[in-house]
Amino acid sequence: MAMLDIAELSAGYLGEDVVHKVSLAVAEGEAVAVIGSNGAGKTTLFRAVCGLMRPSHGSVRLDGRPITRRRAHDIARGGLAYVPAERHLFPEMSVTENLDLGAYPKRPSPERRGLVLDLFPRLAERRRQRAGTLSGGEQQMLAVGRALMSNPRVLVLDEPTTGLAPKLAVDAYAALEALRGHGLTILVAEQQVPLALGFADRGYVLEDGHIQLQGTSAALAENPGVQQAYLGVA
Amino acid sequence: MRAVVFDGVVLGLQFGLLGVGLTLVYGLAGVLNLAYGQLAVLGAVVAALRIDAGAPTIAAVLTGLAAAGAVALALDLTLMRPVYRRRGEDRVLLGLLLMLGVAFIIDGVLVWRYPIEALTLRIGGDPVDVLGTRMRTGSLLASAIALGVGAVLVVFLRYATAGKAVRSVIQDEEGAQLCGVSPARVRAFVFALSGVLAALVAVTRSMTSPVTVNAGIDFTILALIVAVVGGLGSVSGAFLAGVLLGVVNTVSAHYIGTYVTTIVLLGAAAVTIVLRPSGLLGAGRE
Repeated sequence: MAMLDIAELSAGYLGEDVVHKVSLAVAEGEAVAVIGSNGAGKTTLFRAVCGLMRPSHGSVRLDGRPITRRRAHDIARGGLAYVPAERHLFPEMSVTENLDLGAYPKRPSPERRGLVLDLFPRLAERRRQRAGTLSGGEQQMLAVGRALMSNPRVLVLDEPTTGLAPKLAVDAYAALEALRGHGLTILVAEQQVPLALGFADRGYVLEDGHIQLQGTSAALAENPGVQQAYLGVA
Repeated sequence: MRAVVFDGVVLGLQFGLLGVGLTLVYGLAGVLNLAYGQLAVLGAVVAALRIDAGAPTIAAVLTGLAAAGAVALALDLTLMRPVYRRRGEDRVLLGLLLMLGVAFIIDGVLVWRYPIEALTLRIGGDPVDVLGTRMRTGSLLASAIALGVGAVLVVFLRYATAGKAVRSVIQDEEGAQLCGVSPARVRAFVFALSGVLAALVAVTRSMTSPVTVNAGIDFTILALIVAVVGGLGSVSGAFLAGVLLGVVNTVSAHYIGTYVTTIVLLGAAAVTIVLRPSGLLGAGRE
């Protein structure tokens, strides 16, 4: 059974759906990418999944339990950690405080913190620094680190490479790779298609709010349509 | 001069305590609670009525604090609901107008039902000598309460898990939700707390001068000035601003004249805001 199961989900703004009956599933321990250009509906889809907006139709299940229309904080406590593209860190708090809040309402466990700081040694160096003064790459690390503090069952990331230089974008995916090595289930939305397909087991192509194509990353990378639209192959 | 500054600090601590409740609610919920002073007076009137009825002072005061807290909580859970569904300027404007309406209602009811009620707490004992200045025990007690409550609040916000949750919502509501913090619960808690704090200011104020039913608007205006100068959303900022403004207040009252005090106070506030538009300290930074 899928760890995260999204069935016929529609969502949008002011009564106008942006995402139309999207179905996708992520198995336990699997890494899945949703690829698509700017405005395809990736962010809307993810916001509806993690409870930041109400879907107009469809359902979401986390490890078999329905979480559709539950509030975002409830879903977060239930084991789905969402890392938005804009990070939404607490700018006036230190790196450590940001991480600690990731474990809320539980007390942050030292092992968990150790794991995050091992994954991102940079954060250990900046422990006392205010999150608002970190570089873009460090903020991205902190956002992922904060999400990991709750020991989530599924990590959902919206465009983790937003605002990152090419080398840092590669580093971000290297960190995700390491997390997958730990058995974490990951769903990621990405515009930088080569990076996403290089990382994920499977992918879905989202265009104008519809899933146009799905398959293994290898199959998608071979697909002429994907090559032309996203991989710069003529 | 020293005595004047001392008086200023005593007054300023009250100002600070007054600003705290307003600043937290605004920083957290985007609601400028224009009924803040009325909640303070409501607490004072309830306490005064209990005292009239023969209740022990401490019990009467606690009832007053609880009443103000309960009314604030009820407002958060009912009237403020549509406010929280909005974002940005919309939210600020609707919250401000609704709370202004609440202010008129509380004012009206209190003045109509209890026109001559006033809370005066007489704190006995001879004046105490503090660093060469003779201070009334009422002033000292009021200052001690303000300092104590302020310190507890700052420690709570800085170190307690629940306090960090409050700051997280002030700094980034969506980020807080993603960490599992319920903004609605944090808001309800802080709204109730602000009601209690407002009433507490009226209580400590009544230790040095009577708090009458129509004092609400004065409390609100002072709280607004303190909160804005301190930086909306910052408890330490409110106390810092409170003490500065308190000293400005007594110094100008002593050397220039009471009649221009308000002008000087507003002038000091305006200068601060021009120099530091976000106030002395930033939101949620303790």
